[in-house]
Amino acid sequence: MTEAMLWGVGTSAYGRFPERRVEALAWEAVAEAVRDAGISPGEIDAIVVGSVFGPPGVATRVQRGLGIPGVPMWTVENACASGTSAYHEAVEAVRLGRFGCVLVLGVEQMSTLFSGAIVPEATDPEGASSLPLPGLYALQAQRYAGEFGVTPEQLAAVAVKNKRNGLDNPRAQLRASAPTVEEVLASRMIARPLTFLQCCPTSDGAGAAIVGGARGKRRDLRIETSAMVSGALWDHRSEDVWGYASVARAAERAFAQAGRTPAEIDVLEVHDAFTIGEIITLEALGLASRGKGAELAPSGHTARDGAQPVNPSGGLLSRGHPLGATGMAQLAEITWQLRGEAGARQVARHRVGLVETMGGGAAGMDGNACVVTILARQT
Amino acid sequence: MAELGVGRPTKRRAGSAVGGLPVADSRPVFAGDAVLGTRCSACRYPSSQRDLPWCPACYAPMVAERFATTGPVWSATVVDIHVGTRKPPFGLAYVDLDDGPRVLVHLAEPAVLGLGSRVRITGTDDGDLVATEVRS
Repeated sequence: MTEAMLWGVGTSAYGRFPERRVEALAWEAVAEAVRDAGISPGEIDAIVVGSVFGPPGVATRVQRGLGIPGVPMWTVENACASGTSAYHEAVEAVRLGRFGCVLVLGVEQMSTLFSGAIVPEATDPEGASSLPLPGLYALQAQRYAGEFGVTPEQLAAVAVKNKRNGLDNPRAQLRASAPTVEEVLASRMIARPLTFLQCCPTSDGAGAAIVGGARGKRRDLRIETSAMVSGALWDHRSEDVWGYASVARAAERAFAQAGRTPAEIDVLEVHDAFTIGEIITLEALGLASRGKGAELAPSGHTARDGAQPVNPSGGLLSRGHPLGATGMAQLAEITWQLRGEAGARQVARHRVGLVETMGGGAAGMDGNACVVTILARQT
Repeated sequence: MAELGVGRPTKRRAGSAVGGLPVADSRPVFAGDAVLGTRCSACRYPSSQRDLPWCPACYAPMVAERFATTGPVWSATVVDIHVGTRKPPFGLAYVDLDDGPRVLVHLAEPAVLGLGSRVRITGTDDGDLVATEVRS
């Protein structure tokens, strides 16, 4: 087995860019990643792309400008985990010795598809019944609050933390202000109990990474593990709220492969599409026991200057959520954090980082897919 | 910018509810005194889906089944945004049918019902199951 390393990352800005071509967003991210990795584009010998809404052939349309003809290339769609699913395939391919240098790209342009929340998938039973994604998370939040007594203020604290972090992220979509708990709760109701400021915006953007083998550069990050799982049945037998089990399965595999415990992680980027998502995810990752995840943000544990900073970039709640690109944006942030290049967002301890991306929404499944990867600075 | 896309084709339509082409309806069917679905002939796993290839829990054949129209609420919410053609506010709940699967229902009254509240499916609204709280 070859050791897989992260050579470089790049992203576009995140926001609503309906006037831009989708491939232009991708080229911006790829160009930065190639420069960051210190390679020539000609050294890339495979391309993996994560995207949900395309357009069809988006990988080829991006490839057109890159001058990397004829290499193996494929597109992965795993809902919100599409970008990190593409990354996972690249990591596995490098480990197996299939390729020496792989370009991973996540790209999405949602502003030309949706003006607000994603329109639910009409072929799905729940989608046909008008269950929007904030509604699915709201059902999760109501169940969770009913079981564990979580308060609206605890939910809102996640939004306050991440939006405050996002003020220091020049690429974030929302960085105008850091609301108070009261302001988060007073914002427009979307799906009870989730208010507007507890929901991430749909976004346009791209993220890219170069994954390859060990090449003796100290700046490269060691990919200790990448674990990817698909969904399992989520039905009347499920004791967990929707989504919990898929994250837990990926996390269990990732920590076992890396030989690490949750307490050893210095900094995390996790899937906070809605405030309840971060809480459930941190429990599934093992940072808190069942029902205690809601205490992490109010206690300061997950603050940027806390014991285990979570979403120092501002997370999806600030950055926005361009589905296929989100995982790559998370990877870029953890890369910058581990290298000590995160500027005003830099966390104090930054030797080991974790990225978690959870994609979901297909009825009756506990998620479409989840990816958990752990990266470490070379010592 | 406001003119962007005007008069040009859009990328995707998500079904007839938002102006696209119609798609097959995968929602559970209400038959007046039962919710129609399937049940595993071996392990008794219930599903509101009628065209499964085999039991997703044990791989044995599925057969047609009629489920109770009553059950406890697993969770409920009220949605306060437009979704497709549906206007807010509207109540949604996951209900574990007494002898059957978990199904998504619309609530006759838009209120957040507590966990475990008893509801009865009383009809459909444009194909969606509609449930009413049963007060004892």
